[in-house]
Amino acid sequence: MEGLIALGAALAIAIATIGPGLGQGNAAGKAMESIARQPEAAGEIRTSLILSLAFMEALTIYGLLIAFLLLGKF
Amino acid sequence: MFFATPVFASEAAAHGAEHGHGALFSIFGLEVSSVVTTMWGLMLILLVLSYFATRKVELVPVNKLQNMLELAVEMLLGQLSGIMGSEKNAKRYFPLLGSFFFLILISNYSGLLPGAGHIPGLQAPTSTLSVTAGLAIVVFFATHFFGVKTKGIKYFKHFIEPIPFLLPLNLIEEFVKPLSLSLRLYGNIYGEEMVLLSFAALIPLFLPLPMMFLSLLFGFIQAFVFTMLAALYIGTSTAEHHH
Repeated sequence: MEGLIALGAALAIAIATIGPGLGQGNAAGKAMESIARQPEAAGEIRTSLILSLAFMEALTIYGLLIAFLLLGKF
Repeated sequence: MFFATPVFASEAAAHGAEHGHGALFSIFGLEVSSVVTTMWGLMLILLVLSYFATRKVELVPVNKLQNMLELAVEMLLGQLSGIMGSEKNAKRYFPLLGSFFFLILISNYSGLLPGAGHIPGLQAPTSTLSVTAGLAIVVFFATHFFGVKTKGIKYFKHFIEPIPFLLPLNLIEEFVKPLSLSLRLYGNIYGEEMVLLSFAALIPLFLPLPMMFLSLLFGFIQAFVFTMLAALYIGTSTAEHHH
């Protein structure tokens, strides 16, 4: 049973990183492209990039939280 | 609700007994833990710093501390003006938002002090959900308070826009905002502390150093993101035109 809980915790954080990782990579790449195309707008692009990264980051944090909750069950 | 017992139970279990949890002493029946004493210390540091920086304010500062803090405040104000539309708007809410930024920044960094989390009386306040939830609840009430204050009763109209059918969804959104705000800060800082702790348990010398450099970066970004999101929420609730 404990092995299953450990596996569940590991899977919770591992799977929760995949989607946001892809999304953040996509967003950062697009932001770099637009900064290269329009360097004078770099400040605004950076601010909105950080904000959108924060929203994606939250999804991973939910997974991390579930992993900690599961570890607390030992 | 959700923050009541389960998270703290797991926290206590993961930290172990020696990780500075539990009450140190109690005042009038209120338990004072390491987080509370660290928060007192941080408040003292902020008060003393701002006292010495503004004791003799000059137009062209010779006081290096005043110079430094002015630079930080002006950069933050510039960023907030970009989000809230105008500098006038940003200045109106700056006392709240600026306090959030500096308090969260130094409480994130307090987890990097030697012995933080091990010795009683020193633990990063933002690594517990109760502190971050408290900050997020302040944002929640401030958003609606400023919204009603600027727009009056018309503020509540945005809950039934674009169609009244969406009212439940809009209400859920309002409550998810503080939840994700507090969980993001708590999860990042707590996760960081756990990684540092397990690195230090592996090899106490030099191995935690790279992670500590990363923590310096993450601590800043998390404080920045919290402030930006609070500014965004307050900015949209007080904006004149709703789309």
